[in-house]
Amino acid sequence: MPPRFGTLDLAKWAESVPTINGFGTEKWILKGAQVLEIHMEITDELADALIPRTMHPSIPQYGIFNVTHYPDSPVGAFSIAEVRIAGRAGVRPRAHVLRSIVDSEAARKELAARWGFPVHPGKVTLEQRHDRVVGRASIDGKSVLHIESLDRDAIGGNDVQWIASMHLARNKQDGKLGLVQVDPDFVFSKAERGRPVVVHLDNDAFRANGYLKVNNPISASFATCDVTLPKIRYVCNPELPAMQGTTKIAA
Amino acid sequence: MKFGIFYEISVPRPWNRETERTVYDNCIEQVKLADELGFHSVFAVEHHFLEEYSHCSAPELFLTACAMVTKNIRVGHGIVICVPEFNHPIKIAERTAVLDILSHGRLDVGTGRSATWTELGGFRANPDETKKTWDEFVHCLPKMWTQERYSYQGRSWSMPARCIVPKPYQKPHPPLWVAVTSPGTEIDAAERGMGSLGLTFGGFKEQEDKVKNYRRIIRNCEPVGSFVNEKVASVNFLYCHEDDAEGIKVGHRLTGTFNYLAAQLLAAREAYPTKSYPTLGLLPSLRQEASGPGDESGAPEGIAMGNPARIVREMKKWESTGVDQVNFLLNALETIPQEQVLNSLRLFAKEVMPHFKTADDHAAAAAGGR
Repeated sequence: MPPRFGTLDLAKWAESVPTINGFGTEKWILKGAQVLEIHMEITDELADALIPRTMHPSIPQYGIFNVTHYPDSPVGAFSIAEVRIAGRAGVRPRAHVLRSIVDSEAARKELAARWGFPVHPGKVTLEQRHDRVVGRASIDGKSVLHIESLDRDAIGGNDVQWIASMHLARNKQDGKLGLVQVDPDFVFSKAERGRPVVVHLDNDAFRANGYLKVNNPISASFATCDVTLPKIRYVCNPELPAMQGTTKIAA
Repeated sequence: MKFGIFYEISVPRPWNRETERTVYDNCIEQVKLADELGFHSVFAVEHHFLEEYSHCSAPELFLTACAMVTKNIRVGHGIVICVPEFNHPIKIAERTAVLDILSHGRLDVGTGRSATWTELGGFRANPDETKKTWDEFVHCLPKMWTQERYSYQGRSWSMPARCIVPKPYQKPHPPLWVAVTSPGTEIDAAERGMGSLGLTFGGFKEQEDKVKNYRRIIRNCEPVGSFVNEKVASVNFLYCHEDDAEGIKVGHRLTGTFNYLAAQLLAAREAYPTKSYPTLGLLPSLRQEASGPGDESGAPEGIAMGNPARIVREMKKWESTGVDQVNFLLNALETIPQEQVLNSLRLFAKEVMPHFKTADDHAAAAAGGR
């Protein structure tokens, strides 16, 4: 087996993970979401420290910077900004969520309790301008993320492939840490591709501790779509490779 | 049906000067043996930056080395990347002609366009453009090989009139193939009169339909070259052992290691939304096949692992789909010791190959009987 696996400091990371109310979550269907997603290559050697041992890095490693506005949900409208590190869980592309900044207290509570999202309060905005799409997040008035998609071209929704997430959460039922997989389903009504720019990134705000160095740009995509946040299907032991430590929760 | 071998040349970490040399030496030793045993061809990929998975970035050199130590086995690019950031078309024409001369006319030229962001991004190639540049290159290559003076004014490249030398040893030129991974690429191959160098499977019924479609379309093709290369090849894994259970067990180790390595690569489609890459390419398809449903023995359908009798049965199924040739991956990350790989080749040649006659064999037998 290839020896490259994630080297995330699990003990330190586990000091502030959300508590999930078991793994029996029912799905949410979120209509009319607007999603801005930026893919950027990141410095490989450093980024190994940002994924758990369950995962191994993609070649090259890339970061996923995402700002989404949900105009409608069971708890009302909300926006979320996330930074994720792409990798592989076994043979499947997955991305480790470093932090999810959410602008609604009700949404934060539900996202953490139902799916274990590593939520944090903040202001999140998504703007469509004539020449670009701009996503921003701030915490206590301080900018922590500013991403843009420029030179946009229309593409088909079928051409967009966004990979599923994994994040650490503590299960309320047994107190154990688990790496929860969330693989949303997207039904696209409009999509475009652009040139990605990360204008500003605050490493500390996303718990990256300087390990997240953005370098080569890959792509930006912006889409309007219906998103299904599904039932939790798989949970991994964060201390074992995915091939050895994955538990199936639901079909 | 003919049998060939296919190289990615994967190298396990940690790398040092000895590990890469050892892996290359092992490959050359396998090719020499395959030549002696009567295998038809050796194909080598062109990949860049795919650490561990494939250290085969200069296949023209590897294939030249193969040609220099063998007598009969054909040497094939599987494939050469037809994207200008990777390879200038003049250099492709020149290099392949030299290799055809040095091998005394044993060269096959597979063409393709790369399917990973790892490579496309590394060369700063635009994924939207690769299908178009591939099409342009394959139309130019035969003319560069056959015309005394050649000039071109095209979309992605151009050149004033020059005499491109040397010319290939095979006349009019080496056979041309297309790497077929995405659905529909077999149609691209057929329309251009090129061989279909299949790198996916998807089940025997689907394969049979693809082959029929290819043969139907190629009848009315507009060949890019001076002749039609109506051939369908497929790729497979090989581990042949007298003991069926042992063969399957080691075979699974081979496919599992390959799958694990392949998963690390960053497919163009995953990173860069584009209609130019409708699927994830070779790697997931092969992964799916190698871990797909099998019989009670645990051997996946269509994969050449197990004892000779089992492999004969699976290869007969391939033959019934109309495939002309199967090319085998023999190892991944040296997970199978070299002596076992060589023994697997020997056993396959002794016990499996005699069950398959090629069209040439049939013709020779018919001629002998007259």
